[in-house]
Amino acid sequence: MKLNPAQIFIGAFLINNVLLFRFLGLCPFFGVSTAVSTAVGMSAAVMFVMLLASWVTWILFNTVLAPLGIVFLRTAVFILVIASLVQFVEMFLKKYVRALYSSMGIYLPLITTNCAILGVTFLNIDYRFNLLQSTVFAVGSGLGFGLVIVLFAAIRERLEYAPISGSFKGYPISFVAASLVSLAFYGFAGLFGVSL
Amino acid sequence: MVTETKTGWTDSRVWMVASLVIVCLVSALGLSQVYLVTKPQIEKQKADAVNQALGQVLPNAASFEEKEDGLWYGLDSAGNRVGIVFRCDPRGYAGPVETMVGVDLEARVTGIRIASPAEGMKETPGLGLKARDDWFRDQFKGLTADQVRLKKDGGTLDAISAATITSRAVAAGVADGIRKYAPRLKTDDAPEPDAKEDTAPEREGMR
Amino acid sequence: MRKKPPRLKYFTSGIVLENPLLILMIGLCPALATTASARDGFGMGIAASFVLICSNIVVSLVRRWVPSSIRIPIFIIIISSFVTIADYALQAYQPGLYQVLGIFIPLIVVNCMILGRAEGFAYTHGVIDSILDALGKSIGFTLALGLMGIIRELFAAGTVFGFPVTPAGFREQPVLFMIFPPGAFLLIGVLKSIINKLTVKKET
Repeated sequence: MKLNPAQIFIGAFLINNVLLFRFLGLCPFFGVSTAVSTAVGMSAAVMFVMLLASWVTWILFNTVLAPLGIVFLRTAVFILVIASLVQFVEMFLKKYVRALYSSMGIYLPLITTNCAILGVTFLNIDYRFNLLQSTVFAVGSGLGFGLVIVLFAAIRERLEYAPISGSFKGYPISFVAASLVSLAFYGFAGLFGVSL
Repeated sequence: MVTETKTGWTDSRVWMVASLVIVCLVSALGLSQVYLVTKPQIEKQKADAVNQALGQVLPNAASFEEKEDGLWYGLDSAGNRVGIVFRCDPRGYAGPVETMVGVDLEARVTGIRIASPAEGMKETPGLGLKARDDWFRDQFKGLTADQVRLKKDGGTLDAISAATITSRAVAAGVADGIRKYAPRLKTDDAPEPDAKEDTAPEREGMR
Repeated sequence: MRKKPPRLKYFTSGIVLENPLLILMIGLCPALATTASARDGFGMGIAASFVLICSNIVVSLVRRWVPSSIRIPIFIIIISSFVTIADYALQAYQPGLYQVLGIFIPLIVVNCMILGRAEGFAYTHGVIDSILDALGKSIGFTLALGLMGIIRELFAAGTVFGFPVTPAGFREQPVLFMIFPPGAFLLIGVLKSIINKLTVKKET
């Protein structure tokens, strides 16, 4: 299946959205999507780390793991790479880019266990993407994550004031709202004849 | 939080590095064993899956030989070619519909097989997925490239209700594929004499 | 002798009161992604259970030798080793299930439940207690995933584990919605609200 970068981008961004269709990264999705401001900070951090992690893991896989025939270490290597990358980014931002650190720093530690990041790095390998395709896929997935989480945070801010009856308050109504958002995203299916 | 100082020596720098190295080594060694044990089995499973699919679409063939990516020659037990199998990915409603098509020497369809969702099929579950139902697939048997067309489009095939796009995509993909590969039916690209050894050559090709 | 009751509690608490999925809301990703049918749901639950039980055992065995400052990386390596074993074993012996679960098998490594139990329980408890704890949490998680799988399969196909259980008319025009991602979100929302209702009742 040969896909050009634009198709990969649309596929990752809208059609097969990481959150709504691949179910990757749901914990932060429901955890931090209570207010738009936190959602923006979280998604910025996710986008940033997702792109970096895609590059590092792709290069590592294709220059070290695959040639040496030690693909069975993929899971262990990728998660350690992401964990150390997150640490490194956090230290770097803390020291040199205080402004950025204060806005997304607190979300960084949560990202190591965000399965969207690890999931995208695995998919880059499973889809046999080249470096350019991986980059586009990571950017598209990151933006897709951001779009949905911010949209959803706006919905949840309004849900706060809605008269929800007893047992549906809190998580349950959020899930129902997520169901509707996910249904709405079905409208994108087949857009430009793209799918991944 | 577990911050109480324990016996002390576990927190020394040397042990910190050593313990990490030990854990990594043990893990890598263990996993390499797991990998070695499971690898032949995994490859066998993959080869079996492809062979099963090939046999389903070209039942007359006793063995298959992969000629290029997505094209197989079907051979009978004497090593004569009885048909070909090709793979096509017509674009359905929500993405490519991976289809395997068997064609006999008269360029008539002997069978088609559509990949399951787990194998990468992305059609609307339940509607587009009905393309996998027997009645839909059986309609293709015995048709030539020109006959593979929906009734709505002047052919003989019944479309799946509420999944016309998928039905039409599969029909078009099959027809295009037959036209594309028909020349390969006649080429005197004779099978190698050793093709009678059923399993070895085709396993090679599966990788 | 007095130790007996709390020990048993390690086991039972994970099944109902601290059910990882339905009460603590941990492990949502696999719970929604791999429960399109009963078989897939139970398969995913069992794979995650295998990793949880094995890593809990190993972590509690080696805990005295693990330097506290680098315990998390060590736990991650231990967990990812068992994840890889599960990955290859499924690929070799259950290829059909492997294709459905796909990427969610290696992703068990970032399931908060497993690292959470290693760090929060196995690191500070003995082997027996850790096994009990892991077993309880595993059963709770597997049952929750299986329940979702059964309900979704029942609505979306009219079958359970592939056996027809509804009238033929329903199987021809089932509630396909439930097999889609929106159906998964809706189902967990409804399940959670039922649980909210039950727990609130108990307290009052």
